Amino acid sequence: MSNRNPLDYSLNKPLVTSFNPFSYIFKDIILVLALIAVLVFGLAMLYSSSGQSFSMVMRQSIYVFAGLIMMIFTSHLKPDSYKNILMHSYWIGLLLLIYVLFNPAEGYTTSRWIDIGFFQFQPSEIIRLILPLSIVAYLHRKESKIRLEDWLYTTLAALICSYLVFEQPDLGTSIIVFTSGIIPIYLAGLPYKVIAAYGGILAIVSPFIWSSLLDYQKQRVLTYFDSNVDPLGDGWNIAQSQTAIGSGGFFGKGYLEGTQSQLNFIPESHSDFIFSVVGEELGLLGITCLFIVYGVIIWRTFKIGLSAQSPFERLACCSLGFIFLLFILINVSMVIGIIPVVGVPLPLISQGGTSIIVHLLAFGVILSAKRPQL
Amino acid sequence: MRTIQDLRRDEKDAQSLRSRSGVIFFFLLILIIAGVFKILQLTVLDRVSYAAESDKNRIINIPIYPARGLIKLEDGTLIAKNIVTKDLYIKTKLYEISTDQIEQLHDKVLDKNRNIDQLQVPIQGEEKIWLARNLSEQELAKYEVQKNLIPNIQLEVKLRRYLPHKNLFSHVVGHLGLVNADERLSLSRAEYPDDSFIGKVGLEKSYEKSLRGKAGISLMEVDVYGNKVREINRAPPDKPLNLILTLDLRLQKIAQEELANRRGAVVALDPTTGFIKALVSSPDYNPNILNGSESGLTFSQSYLEESPFFNRAISGLYPPASTIKPFIGLLGLEEELITESTIVEDKGFFQLKEDGRKYRGWKEDGHGSVDLKKAIVESSDVYFYELASKLTIDRISSFLLRFGFGEISGIDLINESKSILPTRNWKLGNIGEAWFVGDTVNIGIGQGYISSTPLQLAVSLSAIANKGKIFQPKLITNNQLDDYGPDLLMEVQLENPRHWNIIEKSMISVINSWNGTAHNLYEEGGITIAGKTGTAQIKSLIDQELTVREEYEGIRKDIKNRDHALFVSYGPIPDPNLVVVVIVENGESGSAVAAPIAKRLIEQYQININES
Repeated sequence: MSNRNPLDYSLNKPLVTSFNPFSYIFKDIILVLALIAVLVFGLAMLYSSSGQSFSMVMRQSIYVFAGLIMMIFTSHLKPDSYKNILMHSYWIGLLLLIYVLFNPAEGYTTSRWIDIGFFQFQPSEIIRLILPLSIVAYLHRKESKIRLEDWLYTTLAALICSYLVFEQPDLGTSIIVFTSGIIPIYLAGLPYKVIAAYGGILAIVSPFIWSSLLDYQKQRVLTYFDSNVDPLGDGWNIAQSQTAIGSGGFFGKGYLEGTQSQLNFIPESHSDFIFSVVGEELGLLGITCLFIVYGVIIWRTFKIGLSAQSPFERLACCSLGFIFLLFILINVSMVIGIIPVVGVPLPLISQGGTSIIVHLLAFGVILSAKRPQL
Repeated sequence: MRTIQDLRRDEKDAQSLRSRSGVIFFFLLILIIAGVFKILQLTVLDRVSYAAESDKNRIINIPIYPARGLIKLEDGTLIAKNIVTKDLYIKTKLYEISTDQIEQLHDKVLDKNRNIDQLQVPIQGEEKIWLARNLSEQELAKYEVQKNLIPNIQLEVKLRRYLPHKNLFSHVVGHLGLVNADERLSLSRAEYPDDSFIGKVGLEKSYEKSLRGKAGISLMEVDVYGNKVREINRAPPDKPLNLILTLDLRLQKIAQEELANRRGAVVALDPTTGFIKALVSSPDYNPNILNGSESGLTFSQSYLEESPFFNRAISGLYPPASTIKPFIGLLGLEEELITESTIVEDKGFFQLKEDGRKYRGWKEDGHGSVDLKKAIVESSDVYFYELASKLTIDRISSFLLRFGFGEISGIDLINESKSILPTRNWKLGNIGEAWFVGDTVNIGIGQGYISSTPLQLAVSLSAIANKGKIFQPKLITNNQLDDYGPDLLMEVQLENPRHWNIIEKSMISVINSWNGTAHNLYEEGGITIAGKTGTAQIKSLIDQELTVREEYEGIRKDIKNRDHALFVSYGPIPDPNLVVVVIVENGESGSAVAAPIAKRLIEQYQININES
């Protein structure tokens, strides 16, 4: 036992007698190793699913590397030092969401992408993680108890973001954005009285909202949930991805041997549908291994979160842990065909620099909550 | 500085976080469990069907069709082969809207000597209109340059059937055509895709299966766009059969040449084997036009009116006329109604005792005292009127049946007509009348209800040439086939085999005697040929009740009403190796028109045999 005051955590550095540089740099070696394992696995799967495009893997590697550096850097910051930045980053996210509606990248039928020359990204991917973090930061900006209006502001913040995504149009993502905003609000202790009030308001207001929706908006909502309508050919995509996973069987067809993926039967096989490539080439065995490593990441996240010493850190870790788990579940459920198609990449694996960097930054936040083992 | 309250609140806060995490986790657990079950269902339960689905996605079976079997003569001469054609076509539905492009095609691509009207010979049922067949190298080069200007006009490279001798073997080999609706009922699209050709007539049809061979299969891996990635496996096609014909090129050519511009048929076969040496029907046609392997040609309407597709040699039914006399004579000898020396007074007509009706001979004043030999040599009708009336139809029918009259020969060509050998029942069934003696009298000179195909006549005559043996007529001599080689079809056994010689001598005298009807063929020191002329009346004196020869002469002015000229023969005596039947429609005189063709063929055949 140490003689340090357990409440004195102003010094964010380990005080173990034997200095371990790895545990100093990486803070939680198991979590970092698990992350690296998933990232490397992701690069390998990207190589296979991109039609063995080495340049795509190189590009992704750069993002992975940059993301890891940013993660390590963030993990060594004091949460208090970036809490304000996190809180105000909401406005950046909001601006991006508004900007994309007016200046979408050309070549798409929807307004989801922002083109900044050398790089294209979807603001909704950023907002998915910025929104919960800024809400966590907002709710715990002061040490005092959370006031009623804080719940309302944060709920409103989530609703605004969600609506802007809905207008892109992207109903699936807008639901996910709202969910990722509501998770920290709920975890922070949203009073059940307020929840009941929300429920009541929703019950009263929803018919009015529905009738005030424009026809095309109603249509959008209806078609999304109507499995008989298949405007984007999602049915074919899902059937192909199910065929890929099913035909992979227990051991899979072998790395680079998946016929569904190598012959382009799986749509978006390098991004949203990369999980079906895993299933086809590595089988149930590969899926299970991936889930185990994902499980380790989530376990470490909650372990760090629940043993963190400030409410902000605890809430941030637990929120991010759930959101991370939620993204995995949504992506996998979509690929295996138990929920409608949503534009959610498989975290840390799907191709896409934004997603990788934002996720790794989030893990930087989680790692920064890690206390030295005493 | 933190207080105890802070600590307590902190503790409470952490507690709340844990319990609320539990709630969220519970909801996510539903998704987790659903996902796990679904993944297990995909990868374990339904694994096999998904694996099959995945293979179905990526593997397509591409049939590999072997090139159609060749048709050759025994000496290796190619009769039907396959050539690569490069044709330009336009989809039928694009034709109307692409007149500009078609104009461009004629201006900038095609040779100037191509006749625009003749270019479009659409084969029925095809969704393509052929604009130009068999492009020359120069046209092909121009097309490659101009093809962006004429995007609706496309090039097709295909193997097509080509007969180097064009018309010569048309009625033996036949032609191909697109699979029609009737054929489609029994043919799968895997075997015969929509644009595939199938034998329509002739050997191309009868040996369709052997000539086509069995398609092989290439298992091809394709990507989602249908691009071929690699071949996984291949079952090579069965090599199709190359047919070897019994025909003799030179005989075939002579027969075609002799029948040119006439309607008629020639059948020549080797009586000792049944192998057909020449089979020609005139007019004939160029199968390459229908096979799509020759361009710029079409059939004119007046040409089609001559029915060039009708194979007279096997489908044409003609009265055997006087050529039946040797058979009737033979029956008379066998039935002992006559002997060699039985004399009949020929006054130019025969009168039936029953009804007093007169049957006229072709020679108005008659042939005088006639024995069997003279009756055949001079072709006395009266002699055979009388003999037939004594023989009765029953004996005539059953005797002629033994020679193949009234039967089909079973040659391996389609559309062979069954010749007609009337009996009492036949007349009752087909005409609805009882048999009269007068009918029998007419049969005696091969007129009336009896009719034969040239092929059947040749088969029947081969029995006389062969002293009774009849071989199955054959066109194919492949040793891979089960029925390879001569097949004895039947054998006519006579009570007295000497009767063969009596008939043969009479038939030799038809040529060799000064009074023979085909004495014009006689040549001092030439080969000995046995033969019989025939003149099949189309407008018979009897039918028209014409009693005055002048009236008959009037009718003859219309060529179509003129008699058919027949000549049946075999030679050389004593070891005949060729039976020749010649029919020239409306040729009038068997001796003048038909007989020389037969003689030329027999002579040429001897030269061919000596050469080989």
